[in-house]
Amino acid sequence: MSNNNSSVGASSKARVGPSQPSETSFKRKRGVFQKDLQHMMYGFGDDPNPLPETVALVEDIVVEYVTDMVHKAQDIASKRGKLLTEDFLFLIRKDLPKLNRCTELLSMNEELKQARKAFDVDEEKLASAE
Amino acid sequence: MKQSKDPFEVAADESPPDSPVGHADAETQDPAVQPAVSSQGADVDNNIHPSNQEKATVKSASTSAAGKSVKGKEDDDEEEEENMDVELGKFPSSSDPTKLAKMQSILSQFTEDQMSRYESFRRSGFQKSVMKRLLGSITGSNKVSMPMTIVVSGIAKIFVGELVETAKVVMKERKESGPIRPCHIREAYRRLKLEGKIPKRSVQRLFR
Repeated sequence: MSNNNSSVGASSKARVGPSQPSETSFKRKRGVFQKDLQHMMYGFGDDPNPLPETVALVEDIVVEYVTDMVHKAQDIASKRGKLLTEDFLFLIRKDLPKLNRCTELLSMNEELKQARKAFDVDEEKLASAE
Repeated sequence: MKQSKDPFEVAADESPPDSPVGHADAETQDPAVQPAVSSQGADVDNNIHPSNQEKATVKSASTSAAGKSVKGKEDDDEEEEENMDVELGKFPSSSDPTKLAKMQSILSQFTEDQMSRYESFRRSGFQKSVMKRLLGSITGSNKVSMPMTIVVSGIAKIFVGELVETAKVVMKERKESGPIRPCHIREAYRRLKLEGKIPKRSVQRLFR
């Protein structure tokens, strides 16, 4: 383990502290979500400038949470075949805030897609009319 | 005599040109909302009106300044174009008019502090590209659909919210103040685990 760290050095895979070895080949740079997380934590009630160690810890927790969720979703999806968005919705079916938010996001996405389609069609009409 | 202008309306008017849908949405919704807001204003106590007006002028100046500074943060998140369309084009609640009016009345009474925090709450999110990359590496497949990325980003954001809010509760119990420390987050995580909100691993991680 220490050999690994010294040879890999400043490479993105080096992680210190209470971290577990990553199962995936994903070269995880530290602080991928740092900027976004700072704004997010402030929005949810933290200090306008959250402590960097807190942000790093929350990032680790979130990545682990997403990883576990995806693994669980894959377990469910393996019976059917491909991994679909519905598998995630099934996982959070008991958690109402998350479920409602996700259905809201998906319907807004659909609306935007339709609106963009209509916009493109109009543009084409205008272009052909000229 | 204009009601205090909602910062989101201000932001929507200043929104970047590459979001024609969001812009169009905001334009069409503006006139629909204004009458609701002014009807609310008519019901408000007469005493509040003069102070409201003063607050309105000060607020619109400060929020436009705040809006511009927030813009700087947003320039970093150009890839979140879709997310921004959604945030700026849609008003804070569903198309239910009573909810909308309620939300508007609450928002108009926010202090600068509260408004800035609410803005951060609404606009923050995980970068789609990074989340897509992460999901791709976990699933092992290169193609991760956009709806899946959106859903996972939404779930993760609410999860962060639960963590931070629980951490704040922990801080209150311990009568501590200031920025949240890792020990608070760890206690919050432990409590969420007890509530069953954290997916349990079927295989134990040996070396943590």
